[in-house]
Amino acid sequence: MEFGWSAEDEAYRDELRAFIQDALPAGWRGYDQTDRPAYKAAAERFSRGMAERGWLTQNWPTEYGGGDCSAWRQCILTEELTPIGEPRGSQYMNVNWIGPAFMRFGTEEQKRYYLRRIAAGDIFWCQGFSEPDAGSDLASLRTRAVRVGDEYVVNGSKIWTSHVGVADYCFLLARTGEPDSRARGITVLIVPMDHPGFTRRNIASLAGDESHYEMFFDDMRVPVEWRLGEENQGWEVVRWALQYERVGTAQYQRAALQLSDVVGKAQDNGAFEDPEIRSRIGEAWATCRAARLLTYKVYDLREEGSPPTADSNLARVASTDALKGVAQLSRDVLGEEALEHDQAVDVIRNGGLAIAAGATEIQLDRIALDFLGLPRSR
Amino acid sequence: MRLNLTPEQQQVVDAVTSLLERHAGKDRAMQLVETGAYDLDLDARLIESGFHDLALMEGCGPLEAALAAYEVARNVGVSAFGGMALVAPMVLGEASAQPTLMATTQTGPVRLGGGDSVVLALDGDQVLAVDATVEDWDPVNRNRSGFPVARLKAQAWVRARRFGPGSAARLRDWWRVEIAITTAGLMRGALDLTVAYVVQRKQFGRPIGSFQAVQHRLARLAILTEGARWLALESAWAGARPDLAATAAAFATGAADHIVRECHQFHGAIGVTREYPLHLWTQRLLQVQQEMGGVAGHRRAAADLVFQDKAVLKLSVAPAV
Repeated sequence: MEFGWSAEDEAYRDELRAFIQDALPAGWRGYDQTDRPAYKAAAERFSRGMAERGWLTQNWPTEYGGGDCSAWRQCILTEELTPIGEPRGSQYMNVNWIGPAFMRFGTEEQKRYYLRRIAAGDIFWCQGFSEPDAGSDLASLRTRAVRVGDEYVVNGSKIWTSHVGVADYCFLLARTGEPDSRARGITVLIVPMDHPGFTRRNIASLAGDESHYEMFFDDMRVPVEWRLGEENQGWEVVRWALQYERVGTAQYQRAALQLSDVVGKAQDNGAFEDPEIRSRIGEAWATCRAARLLTYKVYDLREEGSPPTADSNLARVASTDALKGVAQLSRDVLGEEALEHDQAVDVIRNGGLAIAAGATEIQLDRIALDFLGLPRSR
Repeated sequence: MRLNLTPEQQQVVDAVTSLLERHAGKDRAMQLVETGAYDLDLDARLIESGFHDLALMEGCGPLEAALAAYEVARNVGVSAFGGMALVAPMVLGEASAQPTLMATTQTGPVRLGGGDSVVLALDGDQVLAVDATVEDWDPVNRNRSGFPVARLKAQAWVRARRFGPGSAARLRDWWRVEIAITTAGLMRGALDLTVAYVVQRKQFGRPIGSFQAVQHRLARLAILTEGARWLALESAWAGARPDLAATAAAFATGAADHIVRECHQFHGAIGVTREYPLHLWTQRLLQVQQEMGGVAGHRRAAADLVFQDKAVLKLSVAPAV
């Protein structure tokens, strides 16, 4: 056990910071996603710039376009990119779990086709998971994929999906088993967004106008080769992937950066002199730091090649709690000045992470069962 | 960066755990708490095996001492092991074979006071150290739970050795690490006892630990307990860097509130009784929580240390030297 970075990792972080400083305007804090083509072009430019330096997928094996580096490189990467607003756009998920899912479950042809393109910074994804009646209870999803010859015929809809406006492909979960087959009858299909039978609708959202979409599938015909993994193996794929997705963005560091902005404000407006506020700042900071180490535990397991554990659920809840704590403190430090800001930013964007990738209640379920070994509730 | 234990660290943990299983634990602590006695026998065994010397031992350091201190706390050892194995070596430069206790003032109550011991007190920017004997202590009226507590008589301080300017800052930092690791170990012990209880305790025909209303709250305690442990271990590894020590103590003592309240809540009436051992962990947690400025004191120290000049983000941590 040791908590320090190697000299090489430190040097990489410095280089990365210099690259970011060069690639983005000073004080950059995320894209305006309403201009979709401009947003996509900028995210692509940034991702390709990173790809040229071999930084996008450096912890992947070299045979898939990676650099065989440790998982900690990805940790450093997301610690630098998540807090400022993720200049890779939705490509953040490529390196984190979509690529690894192809490595683990894909055919040789799929690996050849997708992994190189991901490593080059060329593909944007969206996750076709949630449905109107399948949110936290994802295994109850009903979008149907019926096998007809060499194709699946897909009918149904997905909702609350992020990144649809810029995605090239949808990572789609569909039911191939009996209607009541739950986790045993789900299959992953990889579908290009411009495929016939595929339509979408933007949903106005407090989290931003490009944040949520609905997707519809009308007799969409999907070749069997576009399936990832075996038929009815989709649940295994998604459970595995979600354990990585949960810690794929350094939310503890985003919370810490927001806290440092809040402290700057508190030092300017005198709130920092208030012992109660200072105590809450210390509390918020400690929460960010605890979430950081809980997340490092997950990277450590990944680095060792151990299967994901409930540690990713611990890390996820700790991180979303850190964000919520900082948001609350921020409003209290700002006082009436907070009226000038869009309140949705704090409450919805930060709170929304306690809903995505499994609501906090689902994470707590997993901790109770897998970490504490408590008996099932039913 | 590597968060799992090296084989050597695992050996330390296994060895100290095995010793504690035989010579500490709740049954032993239940006997001692009745009379308020200190466990000199446990100290003798820890010293005999060299655990008090881990921080200065070749190939080991304060992290290994902290790993052992965590286990001593988790197993409710009635020992000042954290003071002996972590604070004494790192502040005074030598391991202590005497119970080593910490005091914020010369007149305040001292955790585990009452017997032959070394007492380190903050005095401005200096540290005062006294070799105290049984006669030097005034017992504090106590309620037969938690750690024994006593005050040093004024006569004892006449004999105090004085350490140079700057020594107080080091004592503060290492004491915070000790508070953090002791609290983390106590939290884990209380949580383990509570999880075992809700699994076997049945109401409405099923274990109460199968109710989601209970599960989610216990899951939150697990997050706090693990977070406290990691922060404490990191601060020990980093040589009690002041901001990390304050952060670790702030998180652990703040989390202790939740652990104490919730563990008692889930135990119901039995947890209130003296016959049941839960109080061994919870009363100690509340005592340690009050030391050196308490939760708010640690939090403010963290805020001041992290953000003293302007808001900065510190990710790098240097090892203890």
